[in-house]
Amino acid sequence: MSKTKKWIVALLLVISTIVAVQEVIKTARMYLEEYPSNDINAYVAWGAGGATDIMGRTLSIYAAKELGVDIVVQNKTGASGAIATEFVRKQPADGYNILYNAENPTLYKVLNISPIDYSEYEPIILIGQQMPVVVVGEHSPYHSISELIESARKHPGKIKLSTTGIGALPGNVAAMLESTSDVTFNQVPFGGDADALTAVMGGHTDVSVINYSAAVDYAREGKIRILTVLNNERLASEPNVETISEVYPEYGKYFPWGPFIGAFVDKDCPEKVKETLAKAFRNAWETPEFQQFLADSDVIPLGYSGDEARAYIEKWQQVTAWILHDVGQTTVSPAEYGIQRIE
Amino acid sequence: MEEIFSYFTLANILWVAVGVLAGIYIGAIPGLSVTMAASLLIGMTFDWDTGSALALMMGVYMGGVYGGSRAAILLNIPGAPAAVATTFDGYPLAKKGEAGKAIAVSTIISVLGGLVGLVILLAAAPAVGKLALGFGPKDYFLLVVMGLFLVGSLGGKSMAKGMFTAAMGLMLAVVGTDPITGLGRFTFGNTNMRSGISYITVMIGVFGIGEALMQLQHREEPIVKQKLNSVRPPRSTLKKLIPLGIRSAIIGTIVGALPGAGGDIAALLSYDVAKRTTKEPEVPFGEGAFEGVVAPEAANNAAVGGALIPMLTLGIPGDSVTAIMMGALTVHGVRCGPMIMSSQPWLFYTLAWMLAVACVFLLIFGMSGIRVFAKLVEVPREILMPLIIVISIVGSYAITNNVMDVIWTVVFGIVGYLLKYYGFPVAPLVLGLILGPNLELNFRRAMISAGGAAGLVKDIFTSPVSLVLVVILGMLVVSQVKIAQGSAASGQKK
Repeated sequence: MSKTKKWIVALLLVISTIVAVQEVIKTARMYLEEYPSNDINAYVAWGAGGATDIMGRTLSIYAAKELGVDIVVQNKTGASGAIATEFVRKQPADGYNILYNAENPTLYKVLNISPIDYSEYEPIILIGQQMPVVVVGEHSPYHSISELIESARKHPGKIKLSTTGIGALPGNVAAMLESTSDVTFNQVPFGGDADALTAVMGGHTDVSVINYSAAVDYAREGKIRILTVLNNERLASEPNVETISEVYPEYGKYFPWGPFIGAFVDKDCPEKVKETLAKAFRNAWETPEFQQFLADSDVIPLGYSGDEARAYIEKWQQVTAWILHDVGQTTVSPAEYGIQRIE
Repeated sequence: MEEIFSYFTLANILWVAVGVLAGIYIGAIPGLSVTMAASLLIGMTFDWDTGSALALMMGVYMGGVYGGSRAAILLNIPGAPAAVATTFDGYPLAKKGEAGKAIAVSTIISVLGGLVGLVILLAAAPAVGKLALGFGPKDYFLLVVMGLFLVGSLGGKSMAKGMFTAAMGLMLAVVGTDPITGLGRFTFGNTNMRSGISYITVMIGVFGIGEALMQLQHREEPIVKQKLNSVRPPRSTLKKLIPLGIRSAIIGTIVGALPGAGGDIAALLSYDVAKRTTKEPEVPFGEGAFEGVVAPEAANNAAVGGALIPMLTLGIPGDSVTAIMMGALTVHGVRCGPMIMSSQPWLFYTLAWMLAVACVFLLIFGMSGIRVFAKLVEVPREILMPLIIVISIVGSYAITNNVMDVIWTVVFGIVGYLLKYYGFPVAPLVLGLILGPNLELNFRRAMISAGGAAGLVKDIFTSPVSLVLVVILGMLVVSQVKIAQGSAASGQKK
């Protein structure tokens, strides 16, 4: 071995020793010191600029202040959020990896997307819920939900409803309408919410279902009409829009129901870590600034954590898994996973 | 926020400049995309003032779209999917020692494209927005079929080989979750496979690693000395190229304004149109014609202005970057609805001036340092190629921070090398993967919507947009048939 080579080997050894020692110290500190002593990674299961991303990133700013460490937010997208859900579960259960995801994981099992869902997570906080509304284009002949349902009954499979794929909001609501009111739509799947809405505005489809927050500006401008809101109570900001359960009381049992967004952590994290996170995120969520942000975004604040959150998620899962099963969209029966039907 | 030009400050102009400069380099590295840069910037926008955040984003957007051409010309590796078509003639130019001139032309034409996009945005945004709304699934399907005709243009020496790799791309495009039924296709129960094979990983693989392996095999070949005495293209050449640039930019703006299409498809379509309509290029297309650099570069930068049109007139993002921009605006309490033009006129004018300023800086930064860049081609292969492989792998990981993408990149690097070794063109593979999902999904959407083939035919022949597209398609088919070409040629001779 030449002299230079020896030097290089020696240098590499020294560097690797330093790195190794640092890692050991870091791990030791993690166990000995108070949580959190390091920056926390947060993974958003959806793309930048989407609702989950914006909610997660905004809440992270306030939560970071509570925790006294930085929260580094990154997007890890793919497979309806299953990639991030599996990834975070595979990371060490030390509370340094947080998942921001929406309602989708509750359907991973029945749609055979992934075996890992929220049952392996502790909900730190459910940030908020969106309010779904049924919308039609400005030139549509339908002016109320009953007109739409009647027409769908008379012409089964003729009314075009733009969806965004299996397990997403418009398809779920279509399944709800089909299984509860015994109608059939011609479901035309699009790439995303914006595409589905564009199709309605362009007259390429007749009807779609979107979140109220995404619909409100178009409705005020007259580009679309909101036929009904999927809830038991009318929206304060839209007092003239009737709820579906006013017209069809059999829908009442499903609500409150709608896309939700939450922060989650591996259920195997130490109890103390879960408590610290839940408290910090709760405080962050309660800040007037964040509440104002939720109000501006037309999102209904939830603020649930722990058992309360689990109950909310469970109900969502029971409603949605069974309506999808009833219209034949599930791969596996919800009963096989012990998901009970809402009566 | 109320004042229309309240963001027109020196600081924001500088942010646009910073964005353009950063964008050129981000765009030049395969895998690092404008979308990614924009999503990183969105994190900053929370603490920033809206104006500076938008300024930086617009700068990166413009610079990044342009930057893709740098690597395409110099290394035969498109920095972004919108620059795939730029490799067809850009790299042959570099091999002839004309890299400097090719970069200069691409810069001038990109700026021209950006300005044409801006003019259309200012002059006809509502009309183009309305046109975009008129595009239904069947129309997107017809547009994508048009894109497939490009295989005939870029098949290289053998049309059969080109069709083979294009078909391979189309077939690989079906891997992943079926977006309509939600079932996995060829996923073998693996969650990672459910996301499918991203065309960006394939692009980085075949163009980056595949090309690097190919070059290493021919490392003994002498390296071409670049002619760098005068990188500015002669005025007469430019004069000849500008009409084509404007035509390509108009195609770019309109295709870019379609929420279901965008800069990638715009660049490919313009190349095809340029190849079909340019009567007498000085050099044949594919062998280093400036026209082949002009068409895609004018189109992809014009698509920036195009993508802003649906965002500003309909409140619908024109592409992934504008989608992120709308998210960033939401954070600041600016809602991008359909009334944005009337309720927030400042946004329209702010984005417009930023686009204009970005064009100016693009010209400045793009034209400076060309000689240094062109020298890159002269770096010995045993140094440059390993670097490219490393950058390709880093870039592929950066797409979604997923190791699976790295695996795909390496796999397609080797596939790309083998294809190149046996004389198969690799561009149609990427083309197939880009167009595949659009082709399949829009066809299925149109079929579902029309309730069957008969209904679809009826739909197509009763919609004005579709009819126009069918006529164009018909002309493409006729122009490709040997007999028509022969009789036209003989007709000219007589």
